[in-house]
Amino acid sequence: MAQVTSEPQAGAPIPSEEISVEVSQAVIGRSPWELFWRRFRKDRFALAGLVIVFLMLTLALTAPLIAAQFHGPNEVHLDRLDSFGIPTGPQSEFWFGVDTAGRDLMVRVIYGARTSLFIAFFATGLATLIGVTLGMLAGFYRGKIDTVISRTIDVVLSLPVLLLSLGLVSACGLSKDGCLGGLIKPGLLLVSYVIGLFSWPYIARIVRGQVLSLREKEFIEAARSMGSANRRIMFREVLPNVAASIIVYTTLIIPNNILFEAALSFLGIGVPQETPSWGRQLSEAGDIFTVAWWMMLFPGLFLFLTTLAFNLVGDGLRDALDPKTGG
Amino acid sequence: MIHRARTCPGGWDPGDRLGSVKQEEGEGGYVRRYLKVLALVAVLGLVAAACGGDEGGGETGAETGAETGATGATGETGADIQPGGTLEFAMLGDVSAAFDPAKEYYSVTWEYYRCCLLRTLLGYTGKTTAEGGADLQPDIASALPEISSDGLTYTFTLKSGVNYSPPFEDVSVTSGDIVRALERVADPNASVGGYNFYYNIIEGFAEFGEGKADTITGVEAPDDSTLIVTLTAPSGYLPYLFSMHATAPIPPDGPDERLGAAEGHTKDYGRYLVTTGPYMFLGSENLDFSLPADEQTPVAGYEPGQSIQLVRNPGYDPATDGLRPAYADAINVSIGGDNNDLYNKIQAGELDLVVDGIVPPPVLRTYSTDPTLQPLLHINPSDAVRYISFNMAAPPFDDIHVRKAFNLALDKAGMRTLRGGESTGEIGGHIFVNSLQDNLLADYDPYATPNSAGDITAAQAEMAQSVYDTDGDGVCDDPVCSGILAVTDEADPYPDQAALITQNMEPLGLVFDIKSFERTTMYSKCNDPSAQVAICLAPGWGKDFPDGYTFADPLFGSAAIFPSCCNYSLLGASPELLQENGYSVTEVPSVDEQIATANAQTGDARFQGWADLDVTLMEEVVPWAPYFFDNNVDVTSARIVNYSFDQFAGLAAFDHFAIHPDAQ
Repeated sequence: MAQVTSEPQAGAPIPSEEISVEVSQAVIGRSPWELFWRRFRKDRFALAGLVIVFLMLTLALTAPLIAAQFHGPNEVHLDRLDSFGIPTGPQSEFWFGVDTAGRDLMVRVIYGARTSLFIAFFATGLATLIGVTLGMLAGFYRGKIDTVISRTIDVVLSLPVLLLSLGLVSACGLSKDGCLGGLIKPGLLLVSYVIGLFSWPYIARIVRGQVLSLREKEFIEAARSMGSANRRIMFREVLPNVAASIIVYTTLIIPNNILFEAALSFLGIGVPQETPSWGRQLSEAGDIFTVAWWMMLFPGLFLFLTTLAFNLVGDGLRDALDPKTGG
Repeated sequence: MIHRARTCPGGWDPGDRLGSVKQEEGEGGYVRRYLKVLALVAVLGLVAAACGGDEGGGETGAETGAETGATGATGETGADIQPGGTLEFAMLGDVSAAFDPAKEYYSVTWEYYRCCLLRTLLGYTGKTTAEGGADLQPDIASALPEISSDGLTYTFTLKSGVNYSPPFEDVSVTSGDIVRALERVADPNASVGGYNFYYNIIEGFAEFGEGKADTITGVEAPDDSTLIVTLTAPSGYLPYLFSMHATAPIPPDGPDERLGAAEGHTKDYGRYLVTTGPYMFLGSENLDFSLPADEQTPVAGYEPGQSIQLVRNPGYDPATDGLRPAYADAINVSIGGDNNDLYNKIQAGELDLVVDGIVPPPVLRTYSTDPTLQPLLHINPSDAVRYISFNMAAPPFDDIHVRKAFNLALDKAGMRTLRGGESTGEIGGHIFVNSLQDNLLADYDPYATPNSAGDITAAQAEMAQSVYDTDGDGVCDDPVCSGILAVTDEADPYPDQAALITQNMEPLGLVFDIKSFERTTMYSKCNDPSAQVAICLAPGWGKDFPDGYTFADPLFGSAAIFPSCCNYSLLGASPELLQENGYSVTEVPSVDEQIATANAQTGDARFQGWADLDVTLMEEVVPWAPYFFDNNVDVTSARIVNYSFDQFAGLAAFDHFAIHPDAQ
């Protein structure tokens, strides 16, 4: 299909130069990534999402620098609480107000971005790694391997995720040494593992389905007839062809995982108490938001914006990568 | 406080999300995204709404009997007081042992017993310390006991005409009924979770409990109206033990049933409770003790976890009782709900009191600052102390200078602000609550600092004398000071307080590794020497009865070390115990002798004994950094025209509540 720079106006005469331009462009070869980028950048929502994601990343990475300009994330300012211990709202030194311990809410919300984004990337990375590996194996080898993996997926999908996470996190978070002989220690990593371990089946299923259909395609057959080993076929032929789907679904799992961490922290079993987390901040605001709205608004807004941004980017990626959606 | 059961729906299902994505194809991307935005907004809104009132579990509610006490009350005006009407109460959680008097170690239940259900030989007026509410009064006994000159024998004489509730309304209480109750308390199965250890001072009590004797030799009932109690050693707190409801009389029920009405109800006597107070459970008249215990139907007026309904006891004769006005005709209590919601209902006039709630800070501010609402706010010292407990065998707190430095650096005023400010309690400078020492140490604080905000200079000067500060600069430079294992409660306000403590101790070089737990777990970690918790940041302690012994022995006696409770500082721990649990320290000071000395005293000397012990602990031993004496804060509905505070239980005195005649 020929690429056009702009759609001609309906009914307007087409200038002859444009026709010649189009012809000359039609012969320009473009790499798939270039094609992707040309499509993606047209999606203003996706671009906005990308900007927000980068903004959040920047905030998370520069949190200590920002804190140095304002206040430490654990600095207690009792003079910012009233005589009933109720925090004061946004003011010149504390832009987002303070929390119930008199800590700078803005700095803590920015530190919360670190927690959320760490979970977003680490837990999702873990889920993707497991999901892609198992999905490829199941789809490629079929037979018993597929049966075992697919049933495992069914089992994991049928588990009451939140309840089980509650149990796991509390069991492993109880002692200083964690559980499984100290293998899983309480803290951010434990929460990441739990989230990662429950979100891989979605990716595995999608990858499996795609691999199942890809392995029957002619180019795989060609590779096989040329004597390629299974591993080579999987990595060099199949994987690149499912990469687009993996990227899309990974991006879409990220916001879920952020919300999952928020939910766990909201329930009081997420990251350790002193680690700033949006979910925990929302939970702390629960009792007092009628008189301290800022404690609910700012962490909620950041959580909302971040999940929204990842969703928009995910949608944009899918539109740009998936040939079926056109563009 | 608490157990905090949060049930906020954290609905999350990636399956749904991916499923919907799979179907989104072709055109309409923008519309789809707007919908997604709307959906996210809606989800966030739901989270916000769901979380608005989801902080369950009141502090008082879960801290059991050991946590609360009482003082101060609104005086009885008598102006609009007319008996009648039904009180509408709420509780966040149920009582702890389904109203079984031998097992209930919970101040909320004690108030139900005192005000309404169970009379004891000695009792209380349901008023504040200042009004005499902490003083023992004869209740079933006609007078305070006669004490022999050697302090070993106590003789009680019973009133006549004190009858039980139906179906025993024609049966009068006798001294044998008290013996029956004591025998039940001695049975470790019947009193599981209770406080029967206090009664071991009675001769033969322990032997009877262990099944080595047929009777408790130290308890005699020579006739129906006399009870003689003999002790193994002089113990001035004995009379208080007969104000505790584990000793409330149990009616006889046939010659074969040694435990009378409680026979066969080792686990569940509370649901078949025969009362002596002005109230009984609704439907008590339908109890049929002639049936075998397992065929009896429990009272209708107590549905565990659901509701409590008390009605007037027809067997009760007010002429025999000078302690309980019992104005209301009935008391309805709903169990369960959300703390914030329940206080909203009080403001709306749908409820009269949240028995075990915590007044939310915004509500407290409203009632404190609005002159029309101020009369409905009731603040009284509840005889409980909040403290930070040092494990005296764990470095760096095995060094007294570190413990003293901690006391000096702590911003006690800030700790109080984080608890909700001045109305929630007094800044504490010592261990025993003032009413247990007749205010002898009311102004005593050996670690007083300007504005109670901590004094870093003084603290560093103290730290400089420590072995853990080798260069004497007032900052701990030993590796043991970084990563000190600290345990705290995960419920408010303790995480906030932990942040303040961390900040306060930073200039001393003390860096904590803070672990937060649900309250019960926190207490068990602090109590277990093998957990090697160096510092426990969130304990509290309230009296069991108005005597210093309930602060001394369970907190500092060597017998209260694990598996007993609650000598977290390991005072008096044996070298073997320390070694077994992996401590390099071989000795921790003991105050056992001083406790025994004070306990042998009576009257003013007894108060002085507890005060002397307090001073020794604060200056020479320093097992704690006490910072706060609790107030009990209640908000009542506008139709309650009389409120009184029961110093014994540390709660509102339900029998003194009167409903405005127009609202009855």
